[in-house]
Amino acid sequence: MFSLFYGLWKYLFSKTEFHVLILGIDKAGKTTLLEKLKSLYSNLEGLSPDRIVPTVGLNIGRLEVLNAKLVFWDLGGQPGLRSIWEKYYEEAHAVIYVIDAACPSKFEDSKSALEKVLRHEDLQGAPLLVLANKQDLPEAVSAEELSRYLDLKKLDERVYMFEAVSGYDGMGIKDSVEWLVDIMERSKRTEILRARAGVRGP
Amino acid sequence: MGILFTRMFSSLFGNKEARILVLGLDNAGKTTILYRLQMGEVVSTIPTIGFNVETVQYNNIKFQVWDLGGQTSIRPYWRCYFPNTQAIIYVVDSSDTDRLVVAREEFHAILEEEELRGAVALVFANKQDLPGALDDAAVTEALELHKIKNRQWAIFKASAIKGEGLFEGLDWLSNTLKSGGG
Repeated sequence: MFSLFYGLWKYLFSKTEFHVLILGIDKAGKTTLLEKLKSLYSNLEGLSPDRIVPTVGLNIGRLEVLNAKLVFWDLGGQPGLRSIWEKYYEEAHAVIYVIDAACPSKFEDSKSALEKVLRHEDLQGAPLLVLANKQDLPEAVSAEELSRYLDLKKLDERVYMFEAVSGYDGMGIKDSVEWLVDIMERSKRTEILRARAGVRGP
Repeated sequence: MGILFTRMFSSLFGNKEARILVLGLDNAGKTTILYRLQMGEVVSTIPTIGFNVETVQYNNIKFQVWDLGGQTSIRPYWRCYFPNTQAIIYVVDSSDTDRLVVAREEFHAILEEEELRGAVALVFANKQDLPGALDDAAVTEALELHKIKNRQWAIFKASAIKGEGLFEGLDWLSNTLKSGGG
């Protein structure tokens, strides 16, 4: 009986912890983005971009944005490592997909990797934020141009946004992450994950 | 008082200290890695009963590296060394495919330990110089590293004999510890 009330109380009052996956092919700038987020939303300094090495595993950032607790999972994007992405889907509330907007020769690879992510049923209904990264470089294409190129199908039942950012100087990052938090707080996906956690106990 | 000054001194000059445990099954190459990192050469080793401990200075971090014997009978003693550990280096013999299941079970058991909650995990897929050694992606799969969701982890292909991959791993470790990982 007690546990029932405790569960209800927790359900109503505890802050949900949102899991946000940061995906994208290698050299898109995922870890630089995560480090920038750390310096924007915590008192951690975050690594400077020149110190960042390719990720072969998992980087984690725990941050509080607009009063919401976020856990960012930044996974390595090299082809051999992409197979582990899907093991993290089930628990993810949303996906940030990072693309190097200044490198058109890799758009095709980015596009097919993203399509594969979106097809996966474990990510059904998860809000999607696509970042046209590296806007600090003069050759970077705009978010509109990138979205036209990607021409994503099957996005109708999913909330999504394209945004131009720079993980290097921080342009556009706050706006897009705060958009994502707002969306996650109201999303069906969050409700589903919360209900599932409730059923399975603490 | 002396300690206070030492602390001030090291914080002024950016020297951080980190306590690292090197774990893994017997014959994975832990001791060879330790001395390769510390002296830069390959030493001939015998199975470790007990532990070796050395200090390795790298990237402004003073790593106090504990290499614990990996034989089945002495693995239960690993836990005596768990408190105050910032990182675990888990060493795997990538060519010993028969024992990867055991390596996986031991690793996940370690990660369950309350005292190691805040520690980051670095995996060396060691012995890449041997024929039939699995690559990093395959070792990731075999060790089920994707089940680790609450701490930072990374895997590096390494050959302690040839000296490959070790400092890449240490680079990752020092960056991660500096950016407050865990």
